[in-house]
Amino acid sequence: MSLACGIDIGGTKIAGGVVDDDGNVLARLRAESPATSSAAIADTVVGLVRELARAHPVDRVGVGAAGFIDAGRSTVLFAPNLAWREEPLGAELSSRLGLPVVIENDANAAAWGEFAFGAGRHHDSDLLLVTVGTGVGGGIVADGALRRGAFGIAAEIGHLRVVHGGRLCGCGNHGCWEQYASGSALVRSAREEARGSLLARALVDRAGGDVDAITGPMITELAAAGDAFCIEQLADLGQWLGEGISSLVAVLDPGVVVVGGGVSAAGDLLMASLRETFLRTLSGRGHRPAPEIRLAELGNDAGMIGAADLARR
Amino acid sequence: MTERPVRVGVDVGGTKILAGVVDADGVVQEVAVRRTPGRTSSVLLLESTVAEAVEEVVEGRPVAAVGLAAAGFVDGAGERVMFAPHLPWRGEAVRRRLEAALGAPVLLDNDANAAGWAEHRYGAARGASLSLTVTVGTGIGGAVVLGPDGGAAEPRLLRGRNGMAGEFGHQQVVPDGVACECGGRGCWEQYASGNALVAFARARVGREPTVLDDWCGGVPDRLTGPMVTDAAAAGDLVALQAFGHVGDWLGVGIANLVASLDPEVVVVGGGVSAVGDLLLDPARAALARCLVGAPHRVVPRLLPAELGPEAAIVGAAALAAARFGRPSAAR
Repeated sequence: MSLACGIDIGGTKIAGGVVDDDGNVLARLRAESPATSSAAIADTVVGLVRELARAHPVDRVGVGAAGFIDAGRSTVLFAPNLAWREEPLGAELSSRLGLPVVIENDANAAAWGEFAFGAGRHHDSDLLLVTVGTGVGGGIVADGALRRGAFGIAAEIGHLRVVHGGRLCGCGNHGCWEQYASGSALVRSAREEARGSLLARALVDRAGGDVDAITGPMITELAAAGDAFCIEQLADLGQWLGEGISSLVAVLDPGVVVVGGGVSAAGDLLMASLRETFLRTLSGRGHRPAPEIRLAELGNDAGMIGAADLARR
Repeated sequence: MTERPVRVGVDVGGTKILAGVVDADGVVQEVAVRRTPGRTSSVLLLESTVAEAVEEVVEGRPVAAVGLAAAGFVDGAGERVMFAPHLPWRGEAVRRRLEAALGAPVLLDNDANAAGWAEHRYGAARGASLSLTVTVGTGIGGAVVLGPDGGAAEPRLLRGRNGMAGEFGHQQVVPDGVACECGGRGCWEQYASGNALVAFARARVGREPTVLDDWCGGVPDRLTGPMVTDAAAAGDLVALQAFGHVGDWLGVGIANLVASLDPEVVVVGGGVSAVGDLLLDPARAALARCLVGAPHRVVPRLLPAELGPEAAIVGAAALAAARFGRPSAAR
């Protein structure tokens, strides 16, 4: 039994855990993410690992971070929401900690976590993870291995162009999937449609009368209580997700598609329309096996657990 | 003296059937061509046409193995064509039946997988760590090939859980868009294939000055892909616009594939790609424009296929030879 330390660097929090060979988290710690300074992030990670290693003999470290990671699993080439450009994070952490360190894209790490220990653990070869949060991300396992691409930048699926001349995306392009199928898109659409709609009265009340104060969790909460407007908002989101997943399944043919991220907490309110749309739009439907579509099982731990396990491979 | 057994590759596409004898270096020796019976014709007619093409090219020589590349969804076991938008096969046990008809071992694979394997093994993607091959013909097919690694001598196709990965033409690029033969709407191949090229030109015949008017006798339905290619080569403005338009959509869809898979090389093959840069330059421009994070990453090279329209028969023959033993072993 070997113990690895898994670290998940997010936009607001850095989570760390001690993970055993079976994906169990034996200990965990969290710290605020000093997102504006790369040196401060490295200091925080070093502090977390040292603290965790005090009680547990970890022999390696896997770090998941949002960004483009080089094929050598060591350098953060570009991180849209963090302070890194061509940052040799792996080498720095490794020399300060005296342990082998690998850096992985956070969504890739989560995909591996779900494949090895979560919703995909009964599948032996091919998995697609779709994470629905502020944006849309994902990871691809094919033929039993994580596919990072030739340059380490695979599975940027939130930036599939799904609408010609569509909404402007933060990446600079128009019509990206995450402009229609993310938590941000859910909130934007709910705010737009709530203005002047009698159907949205409960939601607007819930937001204290201010349409611009509507949040994703409010929509999910009211939908779960049976509010028709909020149910429809989540069903629309599920349709956008189902259509995009159809395209990805045509390309990748996975055995299972796992849907995770904060918005997936809506459960069947999202998944029913997602599955229905997926089965209705899958190319060759009726003549081919359709993959299973499952909710993620590891929640916020997926990236940490996956990164720790990838450090062993 | 007995003749050396030959290896054969067959490409069953939406428009034509191409059969070839292929040597151990991936070089095509002879070919035979037949028109593909339409998607509403009988399975029997399609399969007997395939067998005829093989018999013509073999000329009575012994056959070591036949690789059959089909434009459709092939099941994971390589036994059946489950679904083919442009062919009559629906769940048919094609491999076994053609093996019986030809009296030689038959391997069945998707046509684009065969082409992608050939391009990686012998063509434009040689040595790449990860390549995508996009075949642009009647529709669009695709293949994902991993380079040799971990001591493996040969490249490896990523086939997915049920052998159906690489159906690039059926990623959706327009919500509720043009109806596709697959039953879907807005599929990429409705915007970036040979069919799309012809549709663009047909919509302009009789409305804009073009040599295509004469070539099709003023009847847009008589217009074919090769006519548009020839007109573009002659500098016809409508034909050039058709390639610009289809090439742009090609690059848009390739940007999606690169966002998902991050390959080192993208190879564009299939009949429509024969025009080369006329199609590839607008595709390159659209790829650079649409690819997420382009300034911060390596944009993959977009290369023309080297094996041309024969890639699928080269790949199918090589895959069959690898499965059933090489001709030299049967000497």
